[in-house]
Amino acid sequence: MWRMATYVGAILAGSALGLGSALWLAGLWPEGRSLAFGNVDVGGWRSDFAIGSKAADPYTRARVARHGLLALAKTEAVYLTRTTDDAGAPLREACTYRLSGGAMPAGWWSVTLYGAGSMLPANTDEALSLDAEQAGTGAWSAVIAPARPADATAWISSRAAGNFDLTLRLYMPTPGLLADPNAALTPPRIARMSCEGGA
Amino acid sequence: MKRWFAPLAVLLASAVGMHALTLHFAPRLIMGRAMAVLEQRGIALHAFTATPRVTPQAQQVVRSSPDLYYALCRYDLSDPAAHLDLRMAAWPAYQSLSFFDARTDNFATLRGTGQPVTTRLLPPGSTPEPGAIISPTPSGIILIRRLAPDAARHAAAAAAGKADACQLTLISR
Repeated sequence: MWRMATYVGAILAGSALGLGSALWLAGLWPEGRSLAFGNVDVGGWRSDFAIGSKAADPYTRARVARHGLLALAKTEAVYLTRTTDDAGAPLREACTYRLSGGAMPAGWWSVTLYGAGSMLPANTDEALSLDAEQAGTGAWSAVIAPARPADATAWISSRAAGNFDLTLRLYMPTPGLLADPNAALTPPRIARMSCEGGA
Repeated sequence: MKRWFAPLAVLLASAVGMHALTLHFAPRLIMGRAMAVLEQRGIALHAFTATPRVTPQAQQVVRSSPDLYYALCRYDLSDPAAHLDLRMAAWPAYQSLSFFDARTDNFATLRGTGQPVTTRLLPPGSTPEPGAIISPTPSGIILIRRLAPDAARHAAAAAAGKADACQLTLISR
């Protein structure tokens, strides 16, 4: 009897361990885990170029199914996600940031802010992203803040976002980007300008 | 010590087995749940359904882009005599017609900037045909994306989308 109980206990404990480790490593549990993962890291902007393809490993596949369902394969679009500012601190609604960059190696691009659960933050500011058209050619910048800047600077609203991340979408990527992302992409910078309470 | 060897081996085997099973089935379960949710939200089977402009108050799928027009078509080609006739109407800016199987793989994407695109989607195991795509799994989702970064262009994309088609055809045998 004791022997049987030992084996049943081992099966249950092993199954729980296997389930928990799989969900954790795939970013499915606990809720709110970061999407910034993968084999590509360009200045803190991370991606896995296997997204959407059969070559994706099981962890990538599970993570994308949860956080980026219906994402395109890399030949059509590349998705890079960033969760921290240039100093390495998590991106927070309480802070104001300057996002800046230059020309992108793609036919069209955008930077979009996502809050908890990989969803757009629940605000009505109509300022959820910055795209290639707004940025124009050459150098560009935008302010990320919970309130619209006083001047005419481009704005991405972080109101009601809590801790957030940014996704850079590069549609129709150049062959150079796919071959060597670190050489082809000058990553947008995220400078923290201030925080509520000075923190 | 020796008597713990077998239970520990069972624990390890259970952990490895459950880990692999979870990773194998998670995308299918998530995709299945997503398809059920899309059905509940009115995404038609074998017809394109345009989603409302993506806003924080209207987002159907995680990480939707507020700069794009989306139209989705759920499909079920479990009948080997069935296929889908697809048409993506012309749009002056970027647009694509992408195919996702039940395992979440993006198994095909056709770009159609400035021009219409037509193709056929065949059930798994079909004989390859010129201009046709074979689905790896019987069911899945087809998605049209159109670049439409403001309300006016989203409305124009929706008007263009009236000529999109995702039509099931049964071949009598």
